[in-house]
Amino acid sequence: MHATRLRSLQALGIFCGFAAGAWLGGAETPIKIVNPDISPITVSLIMVCGVFLARWSLPAFIRGTSHVRSDVRQAPHLVVWAVLAGCMWAVANTLTIYAIRNVGLSIAFPLWNTNSLLGIFWGFLLFNELRLAGWKRWLGVLGGAVAMFAGATLLAMASSHQAAPGKATLGIAAALGAGLLWGTMYIPYRKAYLTGMNPLSFITFFTVGELATMVALAVGYRGASPLWKELVSARPVLFWLMLGGFVWVIGDLFQQYATKYVGISRGIPLSNTNQLWGLLWGVLVFHELQGGSRTVYTQVAGGSLLMACGAVAIALSSATEREHSSWRNAAEREGNRYGVEAEYVRAGMQGESFGNASSARSLLDRLLILGTTALFLALATMARLPRMEISLGWAVVLAAAMLALLSTCAIALWRTTRFR
Amino acid sequence: MSPSNTDAPRNLFRAIATDLHFWIPLCVLLGGLFLLDKLR
Repeated sequence: MHATRLRSLQALGIFCGFAAGAWLGGAETPIKIVNPDISPITVSLIMVCGVFLARWSLPAFIRGTSHVRSDVRQAPHLVVWAVLAGCMWAVANTLTIYAIRNVGLSIAFPLWNTNSLLGIFWGFLLFNELRLAGWKRWLGVLGGAVAMFAGATLLAMASSHQAAPGKATLGIAAALGAGLLWGTMYIPYRKAYLTGMNPLSFITFFTVGELATMVALAVGYRGASPLWKELVSARPVLFWLMLGGFVWVIGDLFQQYATKYVGISRGIPLSNTNQLWGLLWGVLVFHELQGGSRTVYTQVAGGSLLMACGAVAIALSSATEREHSSWRNAAEREGNRYGVEAEYVRAGMQGESFGNASSARSLLDRLLILGTTALFLALATMARLPRMEISLGWAVVLAAAMLALLSTCAIALWRTTRFR
Repeated sequence: MSPSNTDAPRNLFRAIATDLHFWIPLCVLLGGLFLLDKLR
């Protein structure tokens, strides 16, 4: 790969990592406005329904589903990997709801964000990431991830007074379990992108796994009839939860592109800046930490600064040509094992198009886009704003910042890779 | 001699089943389900 192309793809991947952080952080906020009487499993199921709609309608909107069919013909084995990763996501997401309920968002976030350290481990061990990278890159990535973890711990300490007594152990176990699941879920991600699959294709099968798992969990744990009654009674919040799922998918899509172009060892820690965004939403919009002591505010400031420094260190440690050659070796290994065409793998790694799949929108694409839009509009008419003190001004400011990141990153992705 | 097309699904299954990368996430997934069962 030409050095200039490599540099622009690395910069793009890092930008996607930061955009992912903003959108993943924003996606957790709808959970806060939901009536605590609704079971976590039901909350998760409703969110996953929103996720499912987003994971089919967004690819239909951006590139059309004909590209999905083309990708599956090239690498059919990745359907299995995508479904497996989707199952893991659904279980992890349900665990996070238990974690948030038991220890609060501020503690749960840093605990499940340990997934970035696990991501670095799997990236190095299984996919040749950081091989031949030199000590400066190692220091940047590992040091950055450790700084982010330390920052996250400080933030957790700052808000630890919010934990409900007696429930802390359950909440911590749930958050750590989610971190383990998400950290390991990046194995299928990396496998797919080393082989050349487009993130927009991967997520359409990924979501089959997550929806099937969530439905099975919800019906198995709640029973079909009580579940249905709970879904009917949750009508006023269906919109907010499904919107949370939709927002999550946008963040996850950026995370997938980050994983594709900078690997899991860098992409995951960068997208874990979602904790800073979660903190901003919590403090500015939901008035968390109000009336805290000076120590609490010092911990919050120090933790945030550490996380930001860690993210910058990782962003400045992009892969060199030598390290990228190690990635190509891993990609060649995957291609040989699963009999994937070498040109497809090469084109995928370089963010270039392969084959001649039509970009025109089919009837299925139009139905997906229109159906999803109509459903969200219908749910919005039933939605009620929660009776809680929310700073709408700050909510608008944060939403505008997220939209600005979305548009600039989408334009960069289009110009550099045409969403490859 | 190249394998026939009817062997493709079997070969694909064998490639996945003998790939360590498949078993690591699967074991973690089962562990997560176990934890969820304990938490509910």
